[in-house]
Amino acid sequence: MPLETEAKARVRALVADLRPNNGDMMTALHRVQHEFGYLSKESLEVIAEQLDMFPSILYGAASFYDEFRFHPPAQTTVRWCSGPACRLRNSNGIRDAMLVTLGMEELHEQTEDGRVGMVLGQCNGCCELAPMVWLEQHGEHGPTQTPVGNMNAARAVRMARALRDGSDLDGAINA
Amino acid sequence: MPESDIALQKYDALRERADAEYAAWRNPERPRIDIAMDTSSLANGARATGIAIHRVISERNAAVDMGQVHGYGMQWIHPSVQITFPNGETVLYGPVRPEDAGRIVDEATGTWGAAADIRIGMITGTHEGVPSIRDHEFFSLEPRERRLMRNLGLTDPDNLLHYIARDGYRATARMLGRHLSEEAVRNQLNDAGLTGRGGANFPTGVKWNFLFGAAGDEHYMVCNADEGDPGAWVNRVVMEGDPHLLIEGMLIGGYATKAKVGFIYLRDEYPFSVERMERAIKEAEAAGILGDDVLGTGMEFRLRVVRGAGAYVCGEETGLLSSIQDSRGMPRVKPPFPAQRGVFNKPSNVNNVESFANVPLIIQHNSEWYREHGSDKASGTKIFSFSGDIPRVGFMEVPFATRLEDCLRVCGGIQGGQLKAIQSGGPLGSLLPPEALPKLILQPDSFSPWDAIMGGGGMVFMNDQTSVLVMTEALAAFVEEESCGRCTTCHGGNQRQTEIIRRIIDGEGRREDDPNLALIDRTVQFSNCVHGQFSPKITRNTRVHFKNDFEAALLGVDPTLTLKGMYEVYVAHQRPEEQAAAAADICPTAAIQGEPGRRRVIDEACIRCGACFDVAPEVMGKRAKAPKPGLVPLA
Ligand SMILES: Cc1cc2nc3c(=O)[nH]c(=O)nc-3n(C[C@H](O)[C@H](O)[C@H](O)COP(=O)(O)O)c2cc1C
Ligand code: FES
Repeated sequence: MPLETEAKARVRALVADLRPNNGDMMTALHRVQHEFGYLSKESLEVIAEQLDMFPSILYGAASFYDEFRFHPPAQTTVRWCSGPACRLRNSNGIRDAMLVTLGMEELHEQTEDGRVGMVLGQCNGCCELAPMVWLEQHGEHGPTQTPVGNMNAARAVRMARALRDGSDLDGAINA
Repeated sequence: MPESDIALQKYDALRERADAEYAAWRNPERPRIDIAMDTSSLANGARATGIAIHRVISERNAAVDMGQVHGYGMQWIHPSVQITFPNGETVLYGPVRPEDAGRIVDEATGTWGAAADIRIGMITGTHEGVPSIRDHEFFSLEPRERRLMRNLGLTDPDNLLHYIARDGYRATARMLGRHLSEEAVRNQLNDAGLTGRGGANFPTGVKWNFLFGAAGDEHYMVCNADEGDPGAWVNRVVMEGDPHLLIEGMLIGGYATKAKVGFIYLRDEYPFSVERMERAIKEAEAAGILGDDVLGTGMEFRLRVVRGAGAYVCGEETGLLSSIQDSRGMPRVKPPFPAQRGVFNKPSNVNNVESFANVPLIIQHNSEWYREHGSDKASGTKIFSFSGDIPRVGFMEVPFATRLEDCLRVCGGIQGGQLKAIQSGGPLGSLLPPEALPKLILQPDSFSPWDAIMGGGGMVFMNDQTSVLVMTEALAAFVEEESCGRCTTCHGGNQRQTEIIRRIIDGEGRREDDPNLALIDRTVQFSNCVHGQFSPKITRNTRVHFKNDFEAALLGVDPTLTLKGMYEVYVAHQRPEEQAAAAADICPTAAIQGEPGRRRVIDEACIRCGACFDVAPEVMGKRAKAPKPGLVPLA
């Protein structure tokens, strides 16, 4: 057997109990992304082998889903709620203010230094807090998600400036 | 021992343990503070509140225990807690912030009144001066006895024994023990008039007949827990509030259709639901309720959770099936229907979470009992979630045929303006005009005359301070993004639809936009799945129900001043200067320029994000832009 990178060996261990044609693809992709923050090329190769799929077919399937990433996430990702209750409270303004502050054209981009990213989020039924964003980070113990409700555009600008300038989560939330 | 007795005996043994444990929980030796833990509570800071209360208890070495429940329905008072006293009285409080921890512990330890101002009502028992929660206006449309939400506030959702003590799995035990035939189960659902809660309202029992009669003996029962409609969180309440109710519904479904394996396809946005469902499945397995020998009868039924990954069309049943089977979640042509070809190309059946949740209740009682609520067109009760421009955001369980107007009333009425629109049924659903409200009852056919659907249970109320086109754009963009890409009509048509709406919002409306949207409407309907077929509905609703707003927008006129291209931001007052300075400072594009006293907005730089209004409400103003010359009103 060829020598494996350490990462590949870790992926292999993560998906060792999963089987081909058993409805295990989503589970495999989630487990690996949970651990590493994204799906690297080599991790897809390992999963494909385990599930007896062509890597291209696996990639084709995985890339269909908005939540699977193929590049490392930013240090902090702002997930912007695109839901209806938030739209009634100027969430469009919040989105645009953050994007321009972070120097991005649109969602699903990152700042050049990889500090901040922004993605589109879906309502999860906490609309009493509208408008809201979630701040996500990927640490050693997997991803964390911090909901921040009762936003407004001014707070969004302060939050984006703080994150852009390297502030930690608390700093950004209380900016 | 006849097999029949085994199921009942196993159940009785579980029940005995459950009764003892539950009695001790309901009438604890020492007062107990239960933190409401669910997705909404967590977002509102339930963990911080729990930690603060825990700290006070340890610091004081107070004789109080802690536990958890699910929120009761009033999300606007989250984070909430309940105190259960040794006499069995349970009181609900909210919002309880970390700084209220001391008062809550005081209240629990005998200083009754310490938290009087955040006391909401009695969940159980009576106490002078404290109203019963059942008398709260928000729940006044609910039946006195809840059905689907009967365990909220009264059990720890993670505790299987609590569910059993409240009659859970009793229907299953009786069904297996007394050999209620598979057919009898399905007939009961049909007699009860149970229809699918996922939006299409197809009779559940009939679908189960198809699966039962399908070829072979490898059948699959699939639960659609994808709940993708923004503004709807009905399934979340069932899964986080009473996970075993769903498991039991699927188990009964497995029995009635000869399915031995079930999948719960759960949306990625509900990680807490995933956790609760997985834990509940493990507990049910450990208790012998799931597995290869259900309650000792030899029946096999296993359940697995498959986690989605943010694709809305995976809520469409064939898309969902594809996603379970290691592929892109693209809907396919029907037939073959899932009962012919589903998971692993074997006969399968897909039902919504809430459809399953009704099943144990029907089997445990009977179809007449079930029909006591609702109307002859839609029997039973349903959970609805309410949001938008209302003061009381939350969820409630009401009988079908409840008037929507009454729902708005108990939600505190429309806030911040007049009612402008109601969004029901998600992005493929509807934008209803205010004139519809007095005529709408919560029953699918009531929505049809308005070219609308009731849908999965999300209702969003909008006031007149935001243009309906803002909502139209949001929903059109959603449907475009979520098109799976299979049909050119759908992905291309939805791109054009969104483009046109965006251009109108930018103040660049054209006369031909209306006929072009009509053309898109006629074309996109020729898509394979309901996603494409229904996707032009939102613009159609806007063009028909909000004709005046739409035509005005085409001409560049928007009285709400919320459509980007139709207004400008200006410095209305130079004072107070601190505000004016703050506005200049917060502007993310530095569009507010000039010396103190002479500040002005550079229009080309302004992105209309509204940040300056947040910090300088007395300084900043909005005014309509002169519409583009040359536009003629539609004929
Ligand atoms: C684009 C699209 C999205 C859907 N999303 C959901 C969903 O999130 N949950 C759901 O139960 N049904 C959804 N449906 C309906 C399902 O296809 C299916 O009718 C339903 O799950 C059947 O269950 P029921 O008979 O219990 O309602 C969706 C349909 C379409 C076309
Ligand atoms: S719309 Fe943003 S949380 Fe529901």
